Amino acid sequence: MALADNLAVANLPPALNLNIKVSHQYMATQFEQQAFYVLVDITHTPDLPKLRLPLNLAVVLDTSTSMQGVRLQQAKQGVQQIIDQLTPEDAFSLITFSDKAKVLLPSERHVDKARSKAIVSTIQSRGGTEMLQGLLAGMQELGVNRTPQSVNHLIFLTDGQTYGDEAACLEKSEWAGVNKISFTTLGVGADWNETLLDQMAMASGGSSIYIDSPREIAEVFKTTMHTLTLVVARELSAKLELSLGVNLVEAFQITPYITRVNFNSPAASLGSLAANNSKTLLLEFRVQAELCQSYDYLMKLNVEGDIPSQMDYQNWEAAEIKANFTSEPAKNTEIPSVIVTALGKLAIFKLQEKAMIDLEHGEVVMATQRLETMATRLLNMGESDLARSALLEAGRLARSGNLSAEGRKKIRYGTRNLSVLPKEINRD
Amino acid sequence: MIKCPFCGTNQVANTIFCSECGVYLLEDERRGTEALDVDPKNWSDETANEVLAAWDKKKSGTIVVRLKIGEKQREVETTLVKSVHLGRLDPASDVFPEVDLTNDDGLGKGVSRRHARILKRDNHVVVEDLGSINGTFVNGKRLAPYIPEPLNDGDQLQVGTLMIEVSLG
Repeated sequence: MALADNLAVANLPPALNLNIKVSHQYMATQFEQQAFYVLVDITHTPDLPKLRLPLNLAVVLDTSTSMQGVRLQQAKQGVQQIIDQLTPEDAFSLITFSDKAKVLLPSERHVDKARSKAIVSTIQSRGGTEMLQGLLAGMQELGVNRTPQSVNHLIFLTDGQTYGDEAACLEKSEWAGVNKISFTTLGVGADWNETLLDQMAMASGGSSIYIDSPREIAEVFKTTMHTLTLVVARELSAKLELSLGVNLVEAFQITPYITRVNFNSPAASLGSLAANNSKTLLLEFRVQAELCQSYDYLMKLNVEGDIPSQMDYQNWEAAEIKANFTSEPAKNTEIPSVIVTALGKLAIFKLQEKAMIDLEHGEVVMATQRLETMATRLLNMGESDLARSALLEAGRLARSGNLSAEGRKKIRYGTRNLSVLPKEINRD
Repeated sequence: MIKCPFCGTNQVANTIFCSECGVYLLEDERRGTEALDVDPKNWSDETANEVLAAWDKKKSGTIVVRLKIGEKQREVETTLVKSVHLGRLDPASDVFPEVDLTNDDGLGKGVSRRHARILKRDNHVVVEDLGSINGTFVNGKRLAPYIPEPLNDGDQLQVGTLMIEVSLG
């Protein structure tokens, strides 16, 4: 019996839809231990109405001296485009920060667009970068107009490093995550702290974006806003229940971008789901046939989300993942190409991770080799820009023992965005 | 246990890519593309300017590409972020096309592993042939390799002899 027939889905499909593919339909009993991969595609059930949820949005802009020129002009244009897209039900606030934070537009609904845009155009740059001040003010504004239905979000743009308040910024981000406020953290240029901005975004259940050219700032604002208007589910989380003899080795989100997912806490938190995007996870397991072949299933996966447009708010979907055990290894059918593709791109992302870890441990030769291997693979894949960056940085590393701040970001965010998996449409 | 041929580390049975160096570990029977006698259908084609003008009217933003592939009309959909590659999956040579045409009889229809890509250029959607053996055609017109040409909603894309209906939204 094909494995697809074995996927028993508990309960009727509510707002969330799980599509599961496994690497091996048959597992050989003679191996002591074997690898097993599961690809989980989480989507919003297509036939349900997609209501646009009211936004509760705060934009926090770095206006330190380094933002002067194109960066600030583009950021202002981006904010004005966001204002244009607000509906009367959306709450909006704008905070600028340098040495101090200033609430330029306090949180309100029924935003007077012309007046707000005029105020935005008066923003000027001066001073240093004190992130925490801006963050605190932004979160305070988000507290003013939040409702159970609203998508609470903070867009945070900076081009510099903050000093001394990193831990507090992270702590606030965690607090935001718990309180259903997600962040999009945007870093412009080469001088910001990608580790901090990534951690802040992740702690809040949001995402971080690297903007290498200031000319892209306005476009990124627009896309971020567009995605927010398409949010259908918030607070997505996944739980795994494993049979004896099955162990999770690694878990990654593959789309919209590659990132590690932590299943160690009671549930893995997956952020929000937009109607136009799916969230795809790739899980790698070790299976000991001897221990688990007598069980009904290898694992149970439970995905939950908060869907404010649905009457009962809580929505969940579960699936049991089974495998057939056999002593004839030749029985295996082909591994689904979407799993091979996802793993192939993931392999590049992991090479990058390993190179950075090597570098932290002072293993310059090893890190250089990895970057060179990565460059060759990327070139083969047709990713010539990213390949060039990897090769340039490998050369720089071999000569100087260091990566450039810009190259490090290009490689980190470039490999993260390698994974575009198209959606198969089944019309039954 | 299997041994990675590239870096020599031991890997658990059924591992697909080496956990240490990322190399593809499975044996591969994928074959190269054979040259076919490709017969383009000569549909009338809009000029590039007409297509671009039509696109200018459309507001920029996210573009969704939907493809109906071959006789089976298999449908795939993707948001155009950077580019969408069309070809045949060949992990051993690092070829991971977003749209893998292997199961659409890609080999029989002369699809190269790295055949073509669809990308966004200045808010227009274009298609580029990647030096494929049997060519890429838009509405019957063969593209010069590596010269992107506009791709419009409703266009018939042909890779080798495989027909693909394009809708953009």
